[in-house]
Parts: sequence; structure tokens; C-alpha cells
Amino acid sequence: MFHWLEKNPFLFAVGVFLTVAFAGVVSILPSFAQTSRPVIGTTPYSTLELAGRQVYIKNSCNACHSQLVRPFKAETDRYGHYSLSGEYAYDRPFLWGSKRTGPDLMRVGNYRTTEWHENHMMNPAAIVPNSIMPGYAWMFKNIADIDTAYAEQLTVAGVFGVPYNKPVPMADGSTKTIKMGKTVEDARALALAEAKLVAADMKNQDVKDMVKNGKIPEIVALIAYLNSLK
Amino acid sequence: MNKLYLGAIVVTALMLFATYVSFDFKHGSSDIVNQLAILGAVILVIATIFVVVKYVRQMQTDTASGDLMEDNWDGVGEYDNPVPTGWAIVFLGTMIWGMWYYLVGYPVNSYSQIGEYNEDAAALNKKFEEKYKNLKGDELVNMGESVYLSNCSACHGLSADGIDGQAADLNVRLEKKVVKHVIENGSSNNLVSEGMSMPDRNGLFNANTNALITDAEIDSVASYVANGFKGNEAGAKVFAGTCAACHGADGKGMEFVAPNIASFDSSLVVNVVANGKKGAIGTMPKITVLNKKQKEAVAAYVQSISK
Amino acid sequence: MENRPLEYDYTVAKWFMFAAIALGIVGMTIGVFIAFELAFPSLNLVFGQGLAEYTNFSRLRPLHTDAVAFGFTVSGIFATWYYVGQRVLKVSMAESKFLMFIGKLQFVLYILTVVAIVVSLFMGYTTSKEYAEFEWPVDIAIVVIWVLWGVSIFGLIGIRREKSLYISVWYYIATFLGVAMLYLFNNMEIPTYFASGGHGDWFHSVSAYAGTNDATVQWWYGHNAVAFVFTVPIIAMIYYFLPKESGQAIYSYKLSLLSFWGLMFVYLWCGGHHLLFSTVPDWIQTMGSVFSIVLILPSWGSAINMLLTLKGEWQQVASSPLIKFLLLASTFYMFSTLEGPVQAVKSVNAIAHFTDWIPGHVHDGTLGWVGFMIIASALHMTPRIFKREIYSKGLMTAQFWIQTLGIVFYFTSMWIAGITQGMMWRSHDEYGNLAYSFMDTVNVLHPYYTLRGIGGFLFLTGLFMWAYNIIKSASARPVEESELQSASPMGA
Ligand code: HEC
Ligand code: HEC
Ligand code: HEC
Ligand code: HEM
Ligand code: HEM
Ligand SMILES: [Ca+2]
Ligand SMILES: [Ca+2]
Ligand SMILES: [Cu+2]
Repeated sequence: MFHWLEKNPFLFAVGVFLTVAFAGVVSILPSFAQTSRPVIGTTPYSTLELAGRQVYIKNSCNACHSQLVRPFKAETDRYGHYSLSGEYAYDRPFLWGSKRTGPDLMRVGNYRTTEWHENHMMNPAAIVPNSIMPGYAWMFKNIADIDTAYAEQLTVAGVFGVPYNKPVPMADGSTKTIKMGKTVEDARALALAEAKLVAADMKNQDVKDMVKNGKIPEIVALIAYLNSLK
Repeated sequence: MNKLYLGAIVVTALMLFATYVSFDFKHGSSDIVNQLAILGAVILVIATIFVVVKYVRQMQTDTASGDLMEDNWDGVGEYDNPVPTGWAIVFLGTMIWGMWYYLVGYPVNSYSQIGEYNEDAAALNKKFEEKYKNLKGDELVNMGESVYLSNCSACHGLSADGIDGQAADLNVRLEKKVVKHVIENGSSNNLVSEGMSMPDRNGLFNANTNALITDAEIDSVASYVANGFKGNEAGAKVFAGTCAACHGADGKGMEFVAPNIASFDSSLVVNVVANGKKGAIGTMPKITVLNKKQKEAVAAYVQSISK
Repeated sequence: MENRPLEYDYTVAKWFMFAAIALGIVGMTIGVFIAFELAFPSLNLVFGQGLAEYTNFSRLRPLHTDAVAFGFTVSGIFATWYYVGQRVLKVSMAESKFLMFIGKLQFVLYILTVVAIVVSLFMGYTTSKEYAEFEWPVDIAIVVIWVLWGVSIFGLIGIRREKSLYISVWYYIATFLGVAMLYLFNNMEIPTYFASGGHGDWFHSVSAYAGTNDATVQWWYGHNAVAFVFTVPIIAMIYYFLPKESGQAIYSYKLSLLSFWGLMFVYLWCGGHHLLFSTVPDWIQTMGSVFSIVLILPSWGSAINMLLTLKGEWQQVASSPLIKFLLLASTFYMFSTLEGPVQAVKSVNAIAHFTDWIPGHVHDGTLGWVGFMIIASALHMTPRIFKREIYSKGLMTAQFWIQTLGIVFYFTSMWIAGITQGMMWRSHDEYGNLAYSFMDTVNVLHPYYTLRGIGGFLFLTGLFMWAYNIIKSASARPVEESELQSASPMGA
């Protein structure tokens, strides 16, 4: 029946490719533009938050934590409003995860604080008895990579038009502008200013000293990112 | 009986037992999603085992047959047997079903998961509205405990002791350092009502001495308050002279003026939960996922545990 | 030449087979370790606080998945290709210096890339997308390796003596094309160092897609990575090794044909089932669910074809541990391709998604199907590659039962863990509050995590037995000079 095709490797390969490629086009393209429009109130990440997001990725927090509140009553009761597509408009990559070994973090900024994260990230089981989350003590020493975060900001602003240094509409009718440095020195200064606000709420003296001396440990960037998840 | 059937029955039983163990009978039996998941799990085990056993029986009893085709690759030949009828019918059936489902049954975008969510949420809310109407006393405290465990224990701890000073110890109304901090720095956490705040020490006038409150006075009044308004004559005097005007002579607060600092009362806890709080210990975020009754309940629970 | 059997050259096949053994052991040792880390979190610190950055669960998990998927499995695919390809096309690698060179080059580059991947994942260089964690320099290396493999496939086909392509070759071709397309589109990323005019780390990149779109592309990839790494090439293996080892002809050509084209067509539409109840449009989700149900049939088609090929051969099943592996692999293939569609039903996914039932499903497929097939393939190839009989049949039988028990432990424990947790998350108590705090749902899992670890340990034990058996075989008593036909010779 199909023997002729099995004797012709070239046509066979073309046939397989078309069969396989076809579905991708039909299922991915039609909604592409619509699903990427930001929701009012969604802002790009600041330099420090973006550096924190990279810390999150570097440590694969997404292996245990989702960032996707599904529209179920039990989930909105636990985590808050279900997720909307546009809330992810500036998420590159997306961090929905596929396994909830720990709770969802989509809106963790709403119900946890800097101090709490500080204690928890150092040793989760000390705060939450029996927690199976690893402690991340080295984040209190490793220095966050602000330059790479800045490079990422420049890239997304340049290539995808992510609105840095532009007013972004907020839900209450006002606008908010997320700043991006003109030079890398600017960017470092912006990140440091933000880091000082975070460190002010922290108790760890080493961290406070480092920030005072112009260095930003990973934990500070990570907490800035976690606090931005709302 | 054949060893094979025995094996199949053991595995089936094991998986059904596993499913049984996992089922949350207390809460799960009325949820259609739970029922469907269990049904799916059961079908999955039985179908796989049934079908595999069917073919394994053929290995035991049947023999290979059919016309060998011409081709032969490295000694591997092929029979020209037809496709198994059952398989072909089900394949065709699922394809037709799939097309029907997608084009006729539930055509593109006729289903909305958000719509379904809204219905579910409304149904659940309605169900509990009735129940909430006359929920009081111990029942309210019970309800509050469950709210507390899932929403508050992460910071305040399972025994509500605040986990080594990470959050307020809810077993006592106020700690001395908190009182001192409030007197020295004032407080504006919307504890009584929107915009009502307590002045810092530069606005706290001691009527007994006709002067601003002093360090020594702060210390003594703080001890007095933190100690549950007992002992400490000096502190009691300062309180009467400085604080009672707003907080009342017994510290039980006045509506719209100042909160109860002698014991937790419902409105205070509700306000803290609704607005969050920043103070000597740290920052508590506002908890937005709770409804009105849940806040009342957790307040009742906090009242019930504090001395 | 014509009357003499061809002398096949198995050099590259042998190398990749050893790579599969080594990477399988590495990947699964990590798997067992991370399984126990979830049961006993103090293991995160067992190598000391100083190394915890590299040995904690989250840093190791991608190492596990990538070592087993791109190490163990892909080596297995390459090894069997360099073995099966020659034989069913009736052409020896020795006949083409060029293809020999390409094969060896592919192997060398592959090993170098594996080293780069291990180092970079340990350092924390990842893009976070599952099964596509690698940064762009590694992506480029992977593309080169893949192209070399393509040259090898089509090169060998170009000089074939057997005019008509055997079923396994269909599946190898599909693997090559499918992965090529998927990998390219999912790894569209922009190196930030170059795009920003020279700031930050040079290997860092940012995804070309954002948010919901990124998710849609990732799971179009992710689901089909399962298809074209854990399914299609493994079917290629079973279509060769099962009839060859048992000496039986394939039950039905027509069934092979319909299953193949059915699988090719249906698989690609299913990615939406990883995104149920997400912010992806409803129509994509529904499509994922519906096609997943349809997918049962082309999947089962191949498995049924294999089971029917063994019709009347029960004495072989009873006596040969190798046939046992092949039979159970088909069974687990059927089990996971029914389990998947069940989990793809929206109401079931509402519970299953995000829970341990998913890793349970994953390992039904990867241990019972992928693992067993690679194990069986290597055991079949060994006597032919080394011209020696298998060192110990007893060891093989023991391995089979130990690993089967391991898989049973793995999936029953994860089944209970997943359904339990999924239901606990959903429950409301009599007051309409959440019935359980998140920690309540973590606490119940401890026994199941322990059981899973034990199951994994059993499977890993079997893997060591496998490796030992193969290494010993290379030095055991030689078998006769003549080309082996079907059943593999095995020592006591
Ligand atoms: C082994 C799995 C695991 C890993 C890896 C992990 N977590 Fe967790 N996480 C948990 C568990 C379990 C909990 C719930 C218990 C607790 O609060 O400790 C949790 C809780 C949390 C919470 C509190 C959320 C809430 O609602 O209470 C935050 C925030 C958090 N993790 C952040 C992180 C970050 C950031 C990383 C990566 C650097 C990370 N986690 C890595 C398992 C993990
Ligand atoms: C002008 C009125 C006024 C006076 C005088 C006053 N308070 Fe208050 N007090 C308030 C108000 C209003 C609040 C609530 C502030 C808020 O919403 O954060 C408050 C809050 C407090 C709290 C914090 C309660 C909590 O749960 O955190 C303490 C403790 C307290 N007062 C103690 C005192 C003491 C002791 C004195 C006397 C030395 C005093 N107050 C004098 C008005 C007053
Ligand atoms: C992220 C941590 C966190 C969570 C979650 C949290 N709290 Fe708090 N809570 C705090 C901190 C920190 C304080 C102390 C603030 C201060 O410095 O006075 C506090 C203070 C309070 C107080 C005030 C005590 C006082 O003396 O005035 C009450 C009442 C309270 N919490 C109740 C609750 C309840 C009820 C919940 C859950 C519905 C809850 N908290 C959830 C951190 C938290
Ligand atoms: C008919 C065939 C199959 C279907 C319809 C299917 C369906 C599914 C579904 C619904 C999920 C869960 C998605 C989620 O909720 O997170 C899933 C996950 C998964 N399946 Fe399957 N499955 C099939 C076969 C297989 C096979 C044979 C294997 C491997 C050998 C496999 C490997 C995986 C993996 C690795 C994941 C995890 C993906 C992740 O990281 O989240 N599947 N599958
Ligand atoms: C000794 C055997 C093994 C053990 C103990 C083991 C253990 C684990 C563990 C603990 C996880 C993490 C689950 C979680 O995050 O909750 C995991 C994930 C995974 N493993 Fe394994 N594994 C083993 C073998 C394999 C093999 C052979 C393969 C593939 C061929 C494989 C593929 C995967 C995949 C794809 C995932 C990701 C699943 C997901 O994201 O849903 N594993 N494994
Ligand atoms: Ca996953
Ligand atoms: Ca990549
Ligand atoms: Cu899938």
C-alpha cells in the first residue's frame, strides 16, 4: 500500500516532516499576539528584581514552585486571584513550573515579607517545622550579577520594546515608570538604591554591611524579586 | 489458576488499594473532580491489565499465523495480517468522537474555564452563607483555628508564639518592647479605623506632671501594660495620666478613638488582618484572601488563645 | 562479497552503548539521591554547607532529568541506530570512511557536550525550561551533533542495499526530524551580551517568547520531546529487537503502518495538556485534551503489534529474561500511554497537575519503557558486538525482578502521594475554609517519598548488575564464529 513511499527516503522524510510540523503552526500561531498583551498594572522588572529572578532561575526554584494560580476556588482561597495571561507579559522565560513540591509563588509578595524570607531562605525548617525545602545559605554571601540583569533589560527593551523609562498605566488610573540605567554604572546605582530599601528591613548584619559597602548579595536581589510577585 | 491471572489480580488490587488509601473520604467524596479522577485511575489500571492479559493468553495458547510478506530485514519478516478489529474500531471511534467534540459538542471557545470558576465560587459561597448566619461561640473559634493554621501559622507559628520573635506572640496581648516602641514612635496602622493614629512621644502629654512623657515613665507604663495592667503603681499612674484619655481607664479602648490594649478584641484583629501592621517586631502583610466571616473567626480564635 | 555475511562495524555503537551505561548510572544515582532528599531534607547538607549549593535538590534535579534524557536515553538511541541501521539497511559502516568519520566525530562532540552540560548545570547556568535548560552555546553544540547524526542516517540510507526502509528506520528518521524542529523553535533565545553591546555574562540569553506564549511553545516542545525522545526512537528499538530476539515475524505490517502515521499526526497536537487551567486560551487546552484521548490508539497499536508478535511464544517469555524485559517494556508503554491520556482529561488534571502523580506517570514510562528497552537492547547487542555470550543469565533474571519491583514501588507510592496531595489541596472544611495548610499536604508525603527512594534504589541496583554483566561479557567465553540469528546466548 505505502511501499512505494518506504522505498523513497526523501519523500518519506518530507511526508513525516509535514505531518509533524503542521500541528505546531495551527496550535501556536493563532493566539500569539492576543496572549502577550500586558494587563493594566503589570510593570517590567526593575534591575534588582530581574537580578533576583535570575537567582531564582539559577537555583531552579521552579523545580518545586509554580507561579500559576489556576481558576479553582481552593486555589484562589490559598493564593489569591487566578492568573491572567497579561500578567506574564514581561516574563522571559515564563516560570509557571510543572510541580508543586512547595506552594505556588505567583502572589507571594502579597502575604510574605522581607524579614520572613530572610529567615526562611536561610533555614526553612526553622520557620516552618518539617519543611522539606533546602536552605539557601550561600545566597547571603554570593554577589548578585547586576550587569547581566542590566544586559537583559537592554535586550528586552531594544528587541521587544519592553517599556523601560516609559510611563506604564496602573489600575487606579495613575502611571508608573520603571527606570533603567543609561549606563551600566547608572544601573548599578539604581540597583543599589533599591537594595538598600530591602536591606533596611533585614536583620542579618553581614548582609547589611555588604549593602552598605555597595555590594548586593544574591539574597537581597531574590527578596526584591519575591516581593514583586503580586 | 494461572500464575498470570494471579499476578494481574495482585497488581490490580494493589493499585486499587493505593487509590483507596489516597482518597480523602472526609472532604473529597462530594467533589465531582475527585470522583472523576478516581474513576480515571480505576479504569486505567483495569483496562491496561485486562488488555495485556488478553494478549499474554494468546502467547500461551495461540500460535503465530498469517502470510509472510516478501520483505525481510536482517532476518526480521512481517506478516500481512489485518489490523485487529477492536483496535481499528476504537481508533476510528475516538477520531470521530474527537471531531464531534471539537466541532459540534463543544465548538471552539464555547467553554470558558473562568465562567466555570465563577459558577463554582458562587455555589460554594452560597452554601456557606447559610452556615455563617448563625455561627458563634466555640464553632466560630473552631473555624478560626482552621483559618489560622492555613493563613497565619507560617509566621506566628503553630502555637502562635511568634517563632522566636519573628512575628507577634499572640498568646499575650502586648510585649513590653512593642509598647515602648509605640510610645516612642507613635503608630499608624489603622488599628481602630482609617487614619486614626497614635502620636509619638512628642505628642504624649502626662496630665499628672504637666509635661511630655519621660524615659522613666515610658519604661514603667510599658511594664504595666505588658504585664496585663497589674502591679507597678508608677506605671498605673502614668497610664491614667497619659493614656487613659484615649485607651480608657481600663485600657479597653474607645470606639473610633483608640484600640483595646488590655486584650485582643475582634475589631482589632480584623483590622490587623485587613490592613497589615508595621511595628517593633516587623511587618505583617495584609491578608487579602479571607472573607468577612473568616476574619471574624480568626479574631475569635486569637481571642480564645490569648491570656 | 555477495555470499559472505556482511562484517558490520560496531565501533560507534559500542562507544555509545558504554556512554548509555555510564550516563544511566550517573543520572539515576542522582535520581535516587534527590528522591531521598525529598524524604530526608537533611541530605541537602550531607556534603557540607560549603557544597550544598551544588548538592541541594533544586540544583541537582535538572542534572537528573538531563542526564537520563539526553545522556542515558539519547546515547541509547544513537547506540541502537549505529547497530540497527547497518543491519536493516544491509550496509556496513566499514564501507564508508566518510560515515565512519562522521559517526566518530559525533561521538567525540557528544561527550564534550555532555561535559559542558554537566559543568554548566552544576554552576547554575540554566534557562529554566524543562528539558531545554541549556544556554545558547550548548544549543549550538547540540545542533551540530544532531546534524552529524542526520548525515549519518541519510548517508547510510543513501548507500543501502535493502531498497525498502524497515519500520525501525521510519522511527529513527522521525526522531531526527521531530527533535530538530522542536529544539530549534523552543530555543529561540537572544544572547544578552551581544544584544546589549557587551554587558554581563556572555553565555546568558533571554527567551524570544514571553509569558503565555513562552509556555505554549515550551510545552509544544516538552510534550513532543517526550514523543521524539522517550517514545518514537524507543519504538524503533522494540520493532527491531523484539522480533529479532524472539525470531518471530512482525504480527502485522498494516498495524505498523497505521500506528506510525497515526502517531506522527496525533502527537503534535497534545502539548496543551501540560497547560490545562492555565492562561493559555481554552481552545488550545481542549485540543490538547481531545487529541490525548485519540493518541491512546496509535500508541497501543505498536504495543499490541509487539504483543501479538510473541503469540505462541510463551516458553520464550518464561525462559528468557531478555524477552521478559521486552514484554514488560511493551506493557509499561501501554500503561503510561493510557495513564497520560487519563491525566489529560481536564477534571483529572485538576487533581493530577503539579502533584507527584505526574512524576509517577513519568517514571512508568521512563523506567518501565525507556529504561527496560535500552537495557534489553544493550543485552541483545552485547553478544553480537563482542562475539561473546552474555556473562550471566541468572544475574539478568535477578536484575529483571529487582527492577520490576523497583518500578512497582515507584509508581504505587507516587500514585498515592499525588492523588492524596491533589485532593488535600482542593478540600474545604465544614466552614468553607481550606481544610489543610500547605505543610499538612507536605507532611503526609514523607512515607511515600521514602518508598519511592527505595524503589529507585532497587532500579539503580539492577542498573549496576546490568553494567557488570555487560562488562564481564566482554571477557567471557567466546561463542561460535557464525553470525548469531535470534535468541542471545547466555551463560549460567
Ligand atoms: C525541595 C523543594 C523546594 C525547593 C527546591 C525550593 N522550595 Fe521553597 N518551599 C518548599 C516547600 C515544601 C515549602 C512549604 C514549606 C515552607 O514554607 O518551608 C516552600 C515554601 C517557600 C516559600 C513560602 C511560600 C508560602 O506561601 O509560604 C517561599 C517564598 C519559597 N519556598 C521560595 C523558594 C525559593 C526562592 C527557592 C529557590 C531558591 C525555593 N523556594 C526552593 C519546597 C522547595
Ligand atoms: C491621642 C490618643 C492616644 C493616646 C494619648 C495614646 N494612644 Fe495608644 N493608640 C492610639 C491609637 C489611635 C492607636 C492605634 C494606632 C494604629 O492604628 O496604629 C494606639 C495604639 C496603641 C498601641 C498599639 C496596639 C497594638 O496592638 O499594636 C499601644 C501598645 C498603645 N497605643 C499604648 C499607649 C500607651 C501606653 C499610651 C500612653 C503612654 C498611649 N497609647 C496613649 C491613641 C492613643
Ligand atoms: C508574613 C508574616 C505574617 C502573617 C502571614 C501573619 N502575620 Fe500577624 N503579624 C506578623 C508580624 C511580623 C506582626 C508584628 C507586627 C508588629 O511589629 O507589631 C504581626 C502582628 C499580628 C497581630 C497584632 C498583634 C498586636 O499586638 O497588635 C495580630 C492580631 C496578628 N498578627 C494576627 C494575624 C492573623 C490572624 C494572621 C492570619 C490571618 C496573621 N497575623 C498572619 C506577621 C504575620
Ligand atoms: C498517549 C501518550 C501520553 C499522553 C497523552 C501523556 C499525557 C501526559 C500528561 C497529561 C502529563 C501531565 C501534564 C501535567 O499535568 O503536568 C504528562 C506528563 C509527562 N509525561 Fe506523559 N503522556 C503520554 C505518554 C508518555 C510517555 C510514554 C512518556 C515517557 C516515557 C511520558 C512522559 C511524560 C513526562 C516526562 C511528563 C512530565 C512533563 C513535565 O515535566 O511536566 N508520557 N503526560
Ligand atoms: C533510579 C531511578 C530513578 C529515580 C530514583 C528517579 C527519581 C526522580 C526524582 C526524585 C525526580 C523529581 C521528582 C519531583 O520533582 O518531585 C525525577 C524527575 C524526573 N525523572 Fe527520574 N528517576 C529515576 C530514573 C529516571 C529515568 C531512567 C528517567 C528517563 C529516562 C527519568 C526521567 C525523569 C524526568 C523526565 C523527570 C522530570 C519529571 C517531571 O518534571 O514531572 N528518571 N526523577
Ligand atoms: Ca516537570
Ligand atoms: Ca536553550
Ligand atoms: Cu505531554
